[in-house]
Amino acid sequence: MNKILKLALVLLAVSAIVAGVLGVINELTYPVIDAQKQAKTAEAFASVLKADRFDEIEFDNPDFPTVLTVHKAEGAGYVVTSKFSGAQGNITLAVGVDNDYKCTGISVIEHSETSGLGANAASTGEVGVNFRKQFVGQDENIALANAGGSIDALTGATITSRAITEAVATSIKAVKTLG
Amino acid sequence: MNRKKQFTEGLITNNPVLVQQIGMCATMAITTTLFNGVGMGLSVLIILTCCNVVISAIRKIIPGEIRLAIFVVVIAGFVTIVDLLLQAFVPALSEALGVFIPLIVVNCIIIGRAEAFCQKMPVKDSFFDGIFQGLGYTCVLIVMCVVREFLGSGRFGGGLIDISNGFRFTLDGTGAGIQIFPESYGASILSLPFGGFLTLGFLIAAMQYALKKAEDKKAKKAAKEKEAEK
Amino acid sequence: MLSNIIQISLGAILINNFIFSQFLGCCPFLGCSNKVDTAAGMGLAVVFVMGLASAICWVINEYILVALHLEFLQTLAFILVIAALVQFVEMFLKKMVPSLYSALGIFLPLITTNCAVLGVVLLNVQNNYNFIESLVYGITGGIGFLLAIVLFASVRERVEFAEYPECFRGFSICLVSAALVALAFMGFSGMAIPV
Repeated sequence: MNKILKLALVLLAVSAIVAGVLGVINELTYPVIDAQKQAKTAEAFASVLKADRFDEIEFDNPDFPTVLTVHKAEGAGYVVTSKFSGAQGNITLAVGVDNDYKCTGISVIEHSETSGLGANAASTGEVGVNFRKQFVGQDENIALANAGGSIDALTGATITSRAITEAVATSIKAVKTLG
Repeated sequence: MNRKKQFTEGLITNNPVLVQQIGMCATMAITTTLFNGVGMGLSVLIILTCCNVVISAIRKIIPGEIRLAIFVVVIAGFVTIVDLLLQAFVPALSEALGVFIPLIVVNCIIIGRAEAFCQKMPVKDSFFDGIFQGLGYTCVLIVMCVVREFLGSGRFGGGLIDISNGFRFTLDGTGAGIQIFPESYGASILSLPFGGFLTLGFLIAAMQYALKKAEDKKAKKAAKEKEAEK
Repeated sequence: MLSNIIQISLGAILINNFIFSQFLGCCPFLGCSNKVDTAAGMGLAVVFVMGLASAICWVINEYILVALHLEFLQTLAFILVIAALVQFVEMFLKKMVPSLYSALGIFLPLITTNCAVLGVVLLNVQNNYNFIESLVYGITGGIGFLLAIVLFASVRERVEFAEYPECFRGFSICLVSAALVALAFMGFSGMAIPV
């Protein structure tokens, strides 16, 4: 019994030391990570809708479970962020919607799609930019080309493309409910 | 201990992926662009070296019965540190590798080296073992990335190299790489999971072929020498 | 809710199979697929541990780590929970269900370092799954692993009799055959459940 107790204590001590070190590292990196996330969101907003400031407005509609936040940009329209499942994990997307309920641009804030395929939706390369450009000017009836719409899916990433297309439609519908 | 021997062991004769055949999940999963491969390889190299040194340093004071548990705690600690640092300073890499960074904890390379090497060897040898084994791992990842990226999308150095404004390295993963032939001509299936399995399979086969050749040569040479002696 | 669960299950078993599309758990997958019955044993053990680990880690994450703002300890906490869990399951089976122990026993220690188990727990957190979703994802992910490993073991039994170049012997030919099975699994990738 004594021996087991000793072993448990050793393990506990090692874990405590490791946890302590991690706590310190976390303290140091947390502000950086946080600032980076905020900068990323701000950048995403700016890239989907041209406006000076974005004010968060209350949006709590059970018909739109995927919508996270809605920001109003005075005179320019709205930015909707939503979280939905892609091919591998969740995607967080910012969608700009103007006052005529047309999409002004999209930006992927967070994702865990397959690198080189679904991840292209977020890439700054030519493929990603061209993919995202297609959404500009679309309305709520947006659909992939194989479903009768006009959006060309990313190569090898139909699921990601479809999820994003649906999320854009949902975002526009969500803005419409605001009247 | 002979450094040169350790070096060849890590890179070739006892290469973690191609010869010991461990740590394959990440090798196949993330090797779609050079950026991911280099990033993952260096992360493993750093974690492996740190863990090797620490485990070797405390090898005399940890009780044998719970050594594996302690190894795991130490490894998880270093993995989390690297994970947090990547999130803070190289967010693009942390995003691209996703769950495979925390999964380095269960990468058999690290716990395997701890069990097979560091718990018997002094700190200095363990340190070099970490570096060389880590390099061996990184090299395999780089080869996988280069092959899959080139054949799959006709590119080289995706994420890591940008040539739109003269040649430069992009450490934030935004570089488009060098397009060698048009992307639409590439066998994009190689960037899919199928390509991961296939490329690694062929790589291991090539390694086995090369090692066999070298062995045959040695045997022939020995036989010749024997004959000459006669 | 129900459609959500069906979607998760179908995704974990077929569309995003843990082995063939996410590369989680490849080591035991290649190591234990010589024979169909060993493969089935390993697969069952994984289903069991993945389900349990998902449930327990969800509780620990939600009520300890998140509540105390210790999210950075996730990796460390989860791997310790999994290791302890595997140990307990082993002791429990040995005492209470010796027949099951003799079938699964030798696979249990290997599961601690199976990245599918840690992977599923981390993905649960990443995807913000609730308790039921986590449990379903864990179990169906395990079933996906079971399906993959049993299918692949039967493929390997055939490969034994095939003729291939000498240098492909061992893991190499396995990986090439696994590539072909992965290709077959790609056929599921177009499937989706309308929500």
